[in-house]
Amino acid sequence: MSTRIPLVPENIKPLPSLKGNEGMLSWVSSVDHKQIGLMYLMSTLVFFIIGGLEALVIRIQLAQPEFDFISPEVYNQMFTMHGTTMIFFVVMPFLIGVGVYLVPLMIGARDMAFPRLNALSFWLVIFGGILLYYSFLTQSGPSEVGWFAYAPLSEKPFSLNKGPTYWALGLLAVGISSVSSGLNNIVTILTMRVKGMTMRRLPLFVWMILVTSFILIFVIPIIASAFAMMLLDRLLDATFFTPAHGGSAILWQHFFWGFGHPEVYILILPAFGIISEVIPVFSRKPIFGYSFVAGSTVAIGLLSVGVWAHHMFAVGLGNVANAYFSLASMLIAIPTGVKVLNWVATMWGGKIYFATPMLFATAFIIEFVMGGLTGVAIASAPINWVTTDTYFIVAHFHYVLFGGSLFAIFAGVYYWFPKFTGRMMSETLGKWHFWLTVVGFNMTFFIQHFLGVMGMPRRTYTYHDLPYWGSMNLLSTIGAFVLAISVIIFAWNIIWSLKHGKKAPDNPWNAWTLEWYTTSPPAVHNFDLVPPVRGRRPLWDLAHPDQLDEPNSKVV
Amino acid sequence: MANNKMLIGFFVASESIFFVMLILAYVNFHGTVTDGPTAANSLDPLRTGIFSLFLLASSFSMWLAGRSLVSKNHFMMKIWILVTIILGVLFIYGQASEWMGLIGQNITISRNVFGTTFFTLTGFHGFHVCVGLLMLTILLGLAMFGDFKGPKSDGVECISIYWHFVDGVWIVVYSVIYLWAFF
Amino acid sequence: MNIWQVLSSTWNMEPWVLVSALAVLVAYGLGTGFKFTKLSALFITGITIYVLALVSPLDYLGRTYLFSANMIQHILLLLVVPLLLLLGIPKTLAEKALAIEPIGAVMKVLGNPIVAWFLGVGSMWVWHLPSLHESVLANDNLYITQQISFVLIGMIFWWPVFAPVESRRLSPLVSTLYLSSACLGCTILGMLITFAGAGLYASYMTPVDTIGILPLLRGELCLTPGVDQQIGGLTMWVPGCLIYLAASMVTIARWYGAPEDYEISSNSGAEGLLTATQENK
Repeated sequence: MSTRIPLVPENIKPLPSLKGNEGMLSWVSSVDHKQIGLMYLMSTLVFFIIGGLEALVIRIQLAQPEFDFISPEVYNQMFTMHGTTMIFFVVMPFLIGVGVYLVPLMIGARDMAFPRLNALSFWLVIFGGILLYYSFLTQSGPSEVGWFAYAPLSEKPFSLNKGPTYWALGLLAVGISSVSSGLNNIVTILTMRVKGMTMRRLPLFVWMILVTSFILIFVIPIIASAFAMMLLDRLLDATFFTPAHGGSAILWQHFFWGFGHPEVYILILPAFGIISEVIPVFSRKPIFGYSFVAGSTVAIGLLSVGVWAHHMFAVGLGNVANAYFSLASMLIAIPTGVKVLNWVATMWGGKIYFATPMLFATAFIIEFVMGGLTGVAIASAPINWVTTDTYFIVAHFHYVLFGGSLFAIFAGVYYWFPKFTGRMMSETLGKWHFWLTVVGFNMTFFIQHFLGVMGMPRRTYTYHDLPYWGSMNLLSTIGAFVLAISVIIFAWNIIWSLKHGKKAPDNPWNAWTLEWYTTSPPAVHNFDLVPPVRGRRPLWDLAHPDQLDEPNSKVV
Repeated sequence: MANNKMLIGFFVASESIFFVMLILAYVNFHGTVTDGPTAANSLDPLRTGIFSLFLLASSFSMWLAGRSLVSKNHFMMKIWILVTIILGVLFIYGQASEWMGLIGQNITISRNVFGTTFFTLTGFHGFHVCVGLLMLTILLGLAMFGDFKGPKSDGVECISIYWHFVDGVWIVVYSVIYLWAFF
Repeated sequence: MNIWQVLSSTWNMEPWVLVSALAVLVAYGLGTGFKFTKLSALFITGITIYVLALVSPLDYLGRTYLFSANMIQHILLLLVVPLLLLLGIPKTLAEKALAIEPIGAVMKVLGNPIVAWFLGVGSMWVWHLPSLHESVLANDNLYITQQISFVLIGMIFWWPVFAPVESRRLSPLVSTLYLSSACLGCTILGMLITFAGAGLYASYMTPVDTIGILPLLRGELCLTPGVDQQIGGLTMWVPGCLIYLAASMVTIARWYGAPEDYEISSNSGAEGLLTATQENK
């Protein structure tokens, strides 16, 4: 580095902290993308713990046949709130939040394109969460109709309580938040990249956020309109989804899954992005087939919006529709498989260093492939008819969302924690967390494949004492408690490391993307200087001026 | 900056999906109504058509306001924004009186699926027109205080894009609800 | 009649198809000097599919018995044939043609992405309006107009993405938006047809069974009017969309494959931030 050019006027004020004299106000009023990102992450941790406690209540109720730990109504409320919380208030805001934190850093920008819109997006999530959880204070409690809220069950004659109304209002708020953060990300990525950071050199995480943002802005309006219709039905006696008055309950399913299936990719694509950042760094190799990973993301994004009807095989759309949608759904396995192969090929022959982020990333590949394979199986209509609404489906989507998204989230937290806070997380606690998570997760959910094949229905608050069902469910419940312990360790690790963690250098993992160039934690203005970007690994080029990456190198 | 216009462009794209879904709901129930009010027996395409012309004209006047901005004709820009607002208000008046008439005949959102889909679709569109009018009023107020001297202003251009979008949506909505029922 | 007899006996060598195909081929040959290259192979494949779509049993079945056959024919003529023809035109030939004043001026208007998009998606929608579809089936001249308009409009539709002259193409990301929004237009129409319920197109309900294959179609092959219409709608919806999707993957692959100049674009970057790129010069 011979000369560097300063970017912006000096700003030596450090990141506002809770201890500073401005206190909470500096956070609440913040429009800084890093602070908003951290607030996203902290609030998702809170929601994660709430959602996890709901899951524990479910598992306790199911631990024994014909158990009556809670009433059927409370059970229904628990699985509704668990699903809604985990999807809309944990995984989505986490991935958006980590994106908000990292995208400007990775592309060498000062902030998001629209910082105030960014703050609005965050506070709308909190507002939505309050609306959703406020329903616990209404006389008959929260929604009991599941996260999919099928009509006519969610309609007035069947759900007279206020729960579904609050549910729809809360999710509408989150929906508006998601669209606005999607718009913000798209504009930021398309217009705020530092010179030299062309679209073909974007870090893969940014690519995935870009594609996810496009999915967000095009599919959230689908569910927003459906929520509006549901609210009109409930509040003004409109008749969209009430067959008794000429409406159509199937229409709700089309609208819901028209959103619901792309939503799956909203939840997994940024997770793919995290994995695509972590694996090369800890294998000490550039990502294998950058363009395939990025291109297959676009393919997944486009395919995802056209295959929702595979959630509706049991409705009776007709054999022709079932056949077409089975085939189209299976096609998604191709770009997804491309990604998995690329990650494995990146690890192949690399000098793999199993720090906690890499452990989670490696486990992610294995668990996600399990979930993916059962996914291809149930994309086939006949298998789907047998397994639909059984614990096989529960196992499948937990392998995708927990074994997939959440493992990637853990990898991301361990990977970027030094950048976020300036301190390393404890590796010892991290390894305990990892192994307990792997054991607890597989113990809880693997067995549910068998329960599902044996015909145990989901969303049913108890079951008869059939052979093995009791012991298998008990095993699953024990697994859930192992998971709970692992989450406690994780939370403790965060709290402990914030205070006592080892001081982190700017680039503790020897990574190659721009966020590692600035200080840990980054200054308010992100960068004093941005190194020249002439390839996909700017920091590698900086450290090895004699061995520059080929611009757009196609070899590995 | 190109940022603002890009944002409003993608926002409008996102909004159009919202309207597509409302229109699909309308189309889905078109023809399933067996008794009670339908588009064909309770709407007046000619009257609404005339009020629609006001909205179309307002798009044109908004375009003229943009032209005045480019040519730095501050006075004419204010006039054209004012004309746009007046035309938009006339359209909303037309829609409000149509609603009042229908509700007077006991055709409401809860009467049958026609009422449900009709009021939802036109209501959401009317809501967007009102939001547009609000923004135009703010624009006019700021212009009165001397803002937007031209030749460029993201504020004027973005609101103009939104306004054209609202207008475009109405063309589709009018075709689907009124023209489809009568032709 | 069994299925093979139907497929072998319902070829319909319509002269206008053969003449138009031959004329286009000769014109193409004159333009390129009758050399066989990769491009001409694409072009000839396009013409072959064009002829097959219009003379094979697909055409006969589609005009009398099966909406689904008709839909497959439309997809071929609107999406597949024009794409292959356009890909088969060499750059030099296209440049020469565009230099001619009226052609260049017309393509400037028609090649505008917004115009092209509305023509492409619009032709899909308009020709499948039930009333228009009925008149097409009844009127031979209208039928020929329809087929030719499909191919021409299809070429206009693909032009902004696959124009032989690179400067006329949209950037890959914009192409993806262009194609995926077209796919949405197609999806909605396909969805409406699929879920409309049997009898949207009245003449397929009770076809005039001149060659006596209706029992075969309805009975043995289970192609009742409802199923037939569903296949038609879904063909437009799923494989139709996959063509758009595959096309946008091609543009992205082409983009990644193209070498990227190290030279950095001249715009000022984010909010006037400067980078240290100068030091590399």
